[in-house]
Amino acid sequence: MTDKLALSLTVNGERHDVLAPAHRTLLDLLRDQLGLTGAKKACNAGICGACTVLLDGEPARACLCLAANVGDRPVTTVEGLSPGNSLSAVQRAFVDTGAIQCGFCMTGMIVSATALLDELPDPDVGQIREGLSGNLCRCSGYVKVVEAVQLAARYRREEMR
Amino acid sequence: MKYLEPGTLDEALRLLAEEEDVACLAGGQTLVGVLNLGVAEIAALMSLRRIPDLNQIQVSSDGITVGAMATHAAVARDARLTGRFALLREAAGRIAHPAIRSQGTMGGSICHADPAADYPGVLVALDAEVQIASAAGRRSLPAGAFFVDFLATALEPGEMVTAIRFPGSAAAAGEQGVYEKFTRVDGDYATVSVACVLGMAEGRCRSAAIALGSCDVRPVRSAEAEACLAGSCLEDAALAEAGRLLAGAADPQTDTRGSADYRRRLIPGLVARAVSRARAGLEVPS
Amino acid sequence: MNKPLGADPLEGAIGLSLPRLEALEKAVGDARFVEDMTLPGMLHGAVLTSPHAHARIRGYDASAALALPGVKAVVTGEDFETRYMGLVVKDETALAKGKVRYIGEPVAAVAAVDQETARAALHLIEVDYEELPAVFSPEEAMAPGAPLLHEGYGSYFKIFDAVHEGNVLAESEIVGGDPDGAFQGADHVFENVYELSAQYHAYMEPVAALAQVDRDGRVTVWSSTQSVFRTQANIAESLGIPMARIRCISPRIGGGFGGKSEATVQPAAVLLAQKTGRPVRIALSRDEDMTTMRSRHPARLVCRTGVMADGTIVARSLDVLMDGGAYADDSPAVMMFAMYFGCGPYRIPNYRLSGRAVYTNKLRAGAFRGFGNPQGSFATESQMDEIAEALGLDPIDFRLKNALQPGDRWIDGHAIDSCTIRDCLEALRDGCDWTARRAQAAARARPGRRRGIGIAAVAHICGFMATSAFVRLLEDGSVALNTGAVDIGQGSSTALTQICAAALGLSPEQVRCVEADTDASPYNSGTNASRVTYMVGRAIGEAAEVVRNKILEHAGELLEAHPGDLELQPGGKVGIKGVPGKTVSFQEVSIRAHWGTGGPIMGSGSLVFEAGEMDPKTALATGFMSFNACGAYTFGAQAVELEVDEVTGQVEVLEVWSAHDVGRAINPGAVDGQIQGGVVQALGYALTEEMVWQDGRLANPSFMDYKIPGSLDVPHAIHAIVLEHAEPTHPFGAKGIGEPPIVGIAPAVANAIRQATGKRLRRSPMTPERVFRALADEGDGVGIDWPNGQA
Repeated sequence: MTDKLALSLTVNGERHDVLAPAHRTLLDLLRDQLGLTGAKKACNAGICGACTVLLDGEPARACLCLAANVGDRPVTTVEGLSPGNSLSAVQRAFVDTGAIQCGFCMTGMIVSATALLDELPDPDVGQIREGLSGNLCRCSGYVKVVEAVQLAARYRREEMR
Repeated sequence: MKYLEPGTLDEALRLLAEEEDVACLAGGQTLVGVLNLGVAEIAALMSLRRIPDLNQIQVSSDGITVGAMATHAAVARDARLTGRFALLREAAGRIAHPAIRSQGTMGGSICHADPAADYPGVLVALDAEVQIASAAGRRSLPAGAFFVDFLATALEPGEMVTAIRFPGSAAAAGEQGVYEKFTRVDGDYATVSVACVLGMAEGRCRSAAIALGSCDVRPVRSAEAEACLAGSCLEDAALAEAGRLLAGAADPQTDTRGSADYRRRLIPGLVARAVSRARAGLEVPS
Repeated sequence: MNKPLGADPLEGAIGLSLPRLEALEKAVGDARFVEDMTLPGMLHGAVLTSPHAHARIRGYDASAALALPGVKAVVTGEDFETRYMGLVVKDETALAKGKVRYIGEPVAAVAAVDQETARAALHLIEVDYEELPAVFSPEEAMAPGAPLLHEGYGSYFKIFDAVHEGNVLAESEIVGGDPDGAFQGADHVFENVYELSAQYHAYMEPVAALAQVDRDGRVTVWSSTQSVFRTQANIAESLGIPMARIRCISPRIGGGFGGKSEATVQPAAVLLAQKTGRPVRIALSRDEDMTTMRSRHPARLVCRTGVMADGTIVARSLDVLMDGGAYADDSPAVMMFAMYFGCGPYRIPNYRLSGRAVYTNKLRAGAFRGFGNPQGSFATESQMDEIAEALGLDPIDFRLKNALQPGDRWIDGHAIDSCTIRDCLEALRDGCDWTARRAQAAARARPGRRRGIGIAAVAHICGFMATSAFVRLLEDGSVALNTGAVDIGQGSSTALTQICAAALGLSPEQVRCVEADTDASPYNSGTNASRVTYMVGRAIGEAAEVVRNKILEHAGELLEAHPGDLELQPGGKVGIKGVPGKTVSFQEVSIRAHWGTGGPIMGSGSLVFEAGEMDPKTALATGFMSFNACGAYTFGAQAVELEVDEVTGQVEVLEVWSAHDVGRAINPGAVDGQIQGGVVQALGYALTEEMVWQDGRLANPSFMDYKIPGSLDVPHAIHAIVLEHAEPTHPFGAKGIGEPPIVGIAPAVANAIRQATGKRLRRSPMTPERVFRALADEGDGVGIDWPNGQA
């Protein structure tokens, strides 16, 4: 229906050459064209955080990024946090604390937690709550999510040793 | 919809002059949300992402200049923004959530001119100048003249915002800016916000600039209210009178965040809170 | 049955805080929800919704939509015969037919090659409407001469003896003792009106369905549902397809909370798949989900309580008025459930509990965690505090004085097997340091804020309806468990796996829990009513017992011993009691059964709660769907400490304690998660969440305008206080915990606000504006509707 642009994106370290119209969001492109369905579409308005990805290392709403505007900035999705069969420290901590219930928000939550720990390796409870404040969860009440990030910080410190 | 991605400001200004119905794409945190609703009629999008230096924050002795593409996150973490400019950091840090702040920009936010957003009142209280460029040249507008109506700015076709200049000095003694934001939940648009810049000397208020957000189609200032504080010792009666005058100047709307009546009645208390906090900030050397 | 906890080494799987079985795939992004699924040739569906609150449909013109390149089919009410579906009252068709009754009602659906084309085509469908007068509140709907939503209501099939008139779709009363006489004899009578707004479920995954119809007309549907069997029934009823030709499967489900119990977009997806011969996926956007699906019932309640001067309650009346919206959905049951808990966990000998559920031209209201009890408890538990205060009694002491005792019966004469309300109140009192916090509240408040702490007691029920389970011993001695229960994220598959493992002395890794699939799974009515751990657990207990006995028979042959002398040993072994070392493994048993004699070992369990008649000596009921003997009663008590901002009226919750008797915590971590999550959903209900309609149009259909709590809006200090008094009817003593945590929070908040400010809010949510007005002596919030402060 509309003219498509030839885009070249680097997602999870892999280059993808795709055609997409100018209005295509990064979220739709990831999910529908690249088959990366880890980022979820729960509001498509930037409120809920379920589609959070890392754009050039910073947390971003994939639903509020146009794919055309990504350019050469690398994109990391939840699938890119755990190469191969391994789990990242954050993913391991979310599993181990039992923070994951329905899981629909959790991929975005885990990406946000990863960004938070990249910036603040040893956050206190207030900083964790602030860092995850843009990721809505309807199941957990956030208590175990905060505990998961505390545990993830510990796992990361242990990995560094 | 066309997609344009100029690499220089000159090229951007040329495209703005030549193309019909171009919308500038800054951080996209509002514009893409609008596009997702499928109701916008935009012929072309022009991304400002590749234009060099638009995201710089420059600080000098007589003012600071924030590039239109500076993100909220960059403003919020800029430790140079103290004194009267502490207001900017505080406001930037309370815009939505981390993932929005990492992408959203000051230029994008003010061009949307949502009276419930955080920056418009802050710019007005800080007497900011909005720097505007077009193929025809440059101009600047006081923030108070830039915001003209609900979601409407004084930008003409072919123009774009390049930077926002905030006069004054972070080091100026006795000046403190605070941002008092009241929301239903964290990260929401303000039900009512108060941007306040207070100047104190020897226990007496030297100057006060107060702008309300979410209280009209554009930020609300009241010269009478500010006059009533200036020269006072910020005693309760002066605060109450300033609050009364500001509430009278406001013309808030009823929406899901609260009724017009409630909003108006919030103003005196929130203004008093903002002024007290600014004053307390001056008493404790930061 | 009622063994001490942890006594049996076979039951090592019980009491383990295992992560969800599927936690790992959810953490890495591999979990597949409906919108993550595609099939070859799949088309994308979109739904056209009604712009009118009430209108007759005179005709359709889909020609322009069909002419749009990429559009494969349009379906409307002309594409199917009139057939009705519904759990309690069958009043809904697959798409609107003849009339539309609310703004947002599905009218037509499009299938196209992609989502954008499907949505673009919606704008090209022309529907010829004749607008009709509409009603937007129960009061308007019940006024003389009000337009009728369902002219044919009398002819609809109903599963109960409904009393109805006009737009009132169900009216009911339960009377016990002599309420009129008791009110007359009471020293004090308290009467108050309470109101609550509609809450949106806000499951993070909007509803979605993927339907495929094969050449023989067999239908397969993957959908976001709380019950594959209810989905199957709704498709069968609305489209006239035999159940044997419908297969419903649940992939991962992104939350439900009651909102995905009944039909969503599955019938529309099936219609499109039938018409195109291709798989069709419909996934609603957030705003579509909010305007089209369902909400918690807005309610207005009148609570009246008669007490003696010493604090003994002698009489209670509760009148429940619920706005059901345009279709019945679960409304009669929700309304009656509120009535059923009208006396709360208290001994009240004389009562009159009445209710009406009313059709209005708004979004249907339906099941939502708590199922009417949060509304009823807001009234009754708020009033309990009002009475205690008037009588100068401590709120906990006053509740304890009137609390049900072991051996007492429910208002309908139903025996309460495990009556632990007193234990819960005492545990809460200790847990939150009630006396000290209550006394120090004012002194501990921050400047500009006022502090208070409040409590509420909780009574609920877990159980209901039919359930079954298969347990099969696989050749290697591990086990396949198949129950048909959908795990909507709450963790039932994990808990059921633990129950099955414990019943056979296995570790959870030795049990495979099969996903719900109507072709393969035994019947389960649904993931509702806090029922899965309790009900399905019982069915698994039965099934495992059969398997265990067969294992012992085979083992007896292999060990040359009498089965009665044998015992299961942990890890899948059978030994001879008192003879160490001589064992045979489940694998040896199973190989013998598969290849030698007897045949593969399997067991089934099956039960239904048969709703008994109410004991006429206890109470008389009209128009009531009996809940008698429908489950196990559960008890709890909750406390909230908060501060109120004097300037804005905003409430900040500082700390929450939530004490619940769960019978036995199968998975303590999951129990904590249910309590914490339920508390936060309840805090949203109490403070910020409010669906608002203006002239029938939802004014806040987005997460921008409708606010559920984020991490900074609720305290981190949410203390789950878990009591374990084993429930005798469950093989491991467990009761449900899904709903109770949401029941008492709103009244506890109201009670805490009262202590903090001296003001009583009788309208929920207690938004900053309502609290602000209360602080300004402008009333208790009743009648203050959004947005203008006018009723």
